[in-house]
Amino acid sequence: MRELTAAVLENVRIAENIYSLTFATEEAVPVLPGQFCMVGVAGYPLRRPLAVCKAEGERVTVCYQVKGGGTKSLVGYKQGHRLSVLLPLGNGFSLTPDMKRVAVVGGGVGVFPLISAIRAYAGEREISAYMGFRNRAAVCLRYEMQRADKLVIATDDGSEGYRGTAVQAFMEDIERAKPDVVLSCGPTPMLRALKNAVSGRNIPVYVSLEERMGCGIGACLVCVCDKKDGTHARVCRDGPVFEIGEVEI
Amino acid sequence: MVDLHVNICGVELKNPVIPASGTFGFGREFDELYDISLLGAVATKGLTREPRLGNPTPRIAESRGVILNAVGLQNPGVEHFIEHDLDWLRRKTRVIANVAGATLEDYAAICRRLDGLVDFIELNISCPNVKCGGMAFGIRPEDVKEVTHVSKQALKNTPLIVKLSPNAANISENARAAEAGGADCISLINTLTGMAIDIERRRPVLANNTGGVSGAGIKPVAVRMVYEAAHAVKIPVIGMGGITCAEDALEFLMAGASAVQVGTQNFTDTLACPKIIAGLETWCDGHGVGRVRDLVGALKIN
Ligand SMILES: Cc1cc2nc3c(=O)[nH]c(=O)nc-3n(C[C@H](O)[C@H](O)[C@H](O)COP(=O)(O)OP(=O)(O)OC[C@H]3O[C@@H](n4cnc5c(N)ncnc54)[C@H](O)[C@@H]3O)c2cc1C
Ligand SMILES: Cc1cc2nc3c(=O)[nH]c(=O)nc-3n(C[C@H](O)[C@H](O)[C@H](O)COP(=O)(O)O)c2cc1C
Ligand code: FES
Repeated sequence: MRELTAAVLENVRIAENIYSLTFATEEAVPVLPGQFCMVGVAGYPLRRPLAVCKAEGERVTVCYQVKGGGTKSLVGYKQGHRLSVLLPLGNGFSLTPDMKRVAVVGGGVGVFPLISAIRAYAGEREISAYMGFRNRAAVCLRYEMQRADKLVIATDDGSEGYRGTAVQAFMEDIERAKPDVVLSCGPTPMLRALKNAVSGRNIPVYVSLEERMGCGIGACLVCVCDKKDGTHARVCRDGPVFEIGEVEI
Repeated sequence: MVDLHVNICGVELKNPVIPASGTFGFGREFDELYDISLLGAVATKGLTREPRLGNPTPRIAESRGVILNAVGLQNPGVEHFIEHDLDWLRRKTRVIANVAGATLEDYAAICRRLDGLVDFIELNISCPNVKCGGMAFGIRPEDVKEVTHVSKQALKNTPLIVKLSPNAANISENARAAEAGGADCISLINTLTGMAIDIERRRPVLANNTGGVSGAGIKPVAVRMVYEAAHAVKIPVIGMGGITCAEDALEFLMAGASAVQVGTQNFTDTLACPKIIAGLETWCDGHGVGRVRDLVGALKIN
C-alpha cells in the first residue's frame, strides 16, 4: 500500500457512461487480482474506490462508470494531469493450486475487478466467464473478457448475447463448466441470487463487496460489512473479497 | 531551523500536529505509509468500556467541501486496546486516548482504567447520555462540568483533555464549564451535526439519518470557536476542524491553540500530517519564527 502521485496517460470512453483511465505511477507497484485503489478527485474530500483492471509495471488501468459528482469530474482528467492514488488496497482474490476450473460471474461495474482475475489466471486455469450488462451499449472490454476460455455476455434486454442475468447464464452452463471455485462481483441482488443458486453444491464462492469508504486502509471503520459470526469486517482491508458464507449479503 | 516543540500540561510534544480521533485508528495502518513516530501525538479512535459494533452502513457521505460520518463509536473496547495496541503506540509517540461513554459511571471507569497508562485522556462528550433522554453530555454547560468533574476525580496521573462539541449555545461558556470541572486542557471542535439527502431515493444518505460534519468547509466555524474558547479559559487548547495544510494549522495556533489535530484530511491525503509538519517548518523558517510555540495566540484583533 503506497501513497502515489500518478500521471494520467489516457482517459477514454469505452461504453455508454463508462471510461477507462490509465495512469503511470512513479514506480512499479505489484497488484493482485481483485485489489483496488483509492483515486483522489480534486475538490472532493473523499477518494473514490476503483478496482484495478490491469496493472503492468507502472501502468495501471481502472474503469469507471459515471455516477455522481466525483466520477463526473474524473472524466475531465486528460493526459498529463496528476492524480493522487492509494494503491494497492484490499486482499484480492486468492486461489489455491487445485482450483483449476474457475467461473467468474460479474454484473455492471462488478465486471471490472473480475477483468484482473481473468488476466491473472488465463492460460493457467480453465476460465468460464459470465458477464452481465444492461444492454449492448454498456458492453465493454470484450478483448479482455475474451481471454477466458469461455465467455458468455448477458444483457438484461437481450440486445447482445444471452438474454437475462449473468447468474442465469452461469447456472445454465454450470454442469459443463464444473467450476472448482466461483469469483463474483456485482450488485447485491445479483450476489444474493448467486448465493441461492449455488447453495448446496459445495463450490467455494468468493465475492468482492462494495461499501462507502473513508480512509480505504482500515483505520476509520467506515466501510464495514456484517459477518456471519456477528462481528464486523472492514471491506477495504479485510476484503473487498470474502467467502460468500462468511458475510451477510 | 524552527523549534517545533510544544508543551501541553507538562507533556512535551515534538511538534504540534496530531491526527484526530476516529480518522487514524490506533495508528497501525498509517504506520505502513509513513513512520508515525514523526507525529507530535496520536489521538486514538474513541474507546468505550465494552466493544461496540457501531451503526449500520452507509456510515459516510460527502457534501461540498465536507463529509458526514456516523460510525457510531465502533471500537474493540478499552481492554483490547490496552492489550494489543497501547505498548506499540507508546513506543512510537505520545498517546491521547479518546474515550466515550453512555453514563457518567462509564466515563469514570474508563478514565480510572487508563490512568497512568497514556499521555493524555481526551473525553469525547458528544455522545448521548442515556440517563438524560439521550441528550449529549457536551451541550449544556452544567453537564459538561459534571462529566469533566467525574472523569477528573478518577484520574491521578494523566492529564485530562475535554473535547468540546460545537453543537452548543455558547462555546465560551462550555469551555469555562470544562475548566471549572477540572479539565487540564480542552480540544475543539468535534463534528457539527448534519444531514445529507439522496434526492432520488428521498432518503438520508447515512443509515443513521444524521451524522457529524467535518472537513475543510467547517474550518471558519472551528477557528472562531477555538479563538473564543482560548480566550475564555487559562488552560491550554488543542484546535481542530477542517485543517488541510500548514497554513490552516497556523490559523488555529494564532487563534490560541497550542497544538492542532487533523482529521478528514487524512482521508484526502494519507500523508497530510507529515506534509503539515514540513509546511509549518518551511513557513516558520521563511518568516523568521524561531519557536512555533511563539505563534500560539499571536493573533492581533482588528
Ligand atoms: C472496492 C470497490 C471497488 C470499486 N470498483 C469500481 C470500479 O472498478 N468501477 C466503478 O465504476 N465503480 C467501482 N466502485 C464503485 C465506485 O467507487 C462508486 O461508483 C464511486 O465512488 C461513485 O462516486 P461518485 O462521485 O460518482 O458518486 P457520488 O454518489 O457523488 O459519491 C459520493 C460518495 O459516495 C461514495 N459512493 C457512491 N457509490 C458508491 C459505491 N457503489 N461504492 C462505494 N462508494 C460509493 C463515493 O465514493 C463518495 O464517497 C467500487 C467500489 C468499491 C467499494
Ligand atoms: C470518520 C470519523 C470518525 C470520528 N470519530 C471520532 C471519535 O471516535 N471520537 C471523537 O472525539 N471524534 C471523532 N471524530 C471527530 C474528529 O476527531 C474531529 O473532531 C472532526 O472530524 C473535525 O476535524 P476535521 O475537520 O479535521 O476532520 C471523527 C471524525 C470522523 C471523520
Ligand atoms: S474505509 Fe476506513 S476502514 Fe475501510
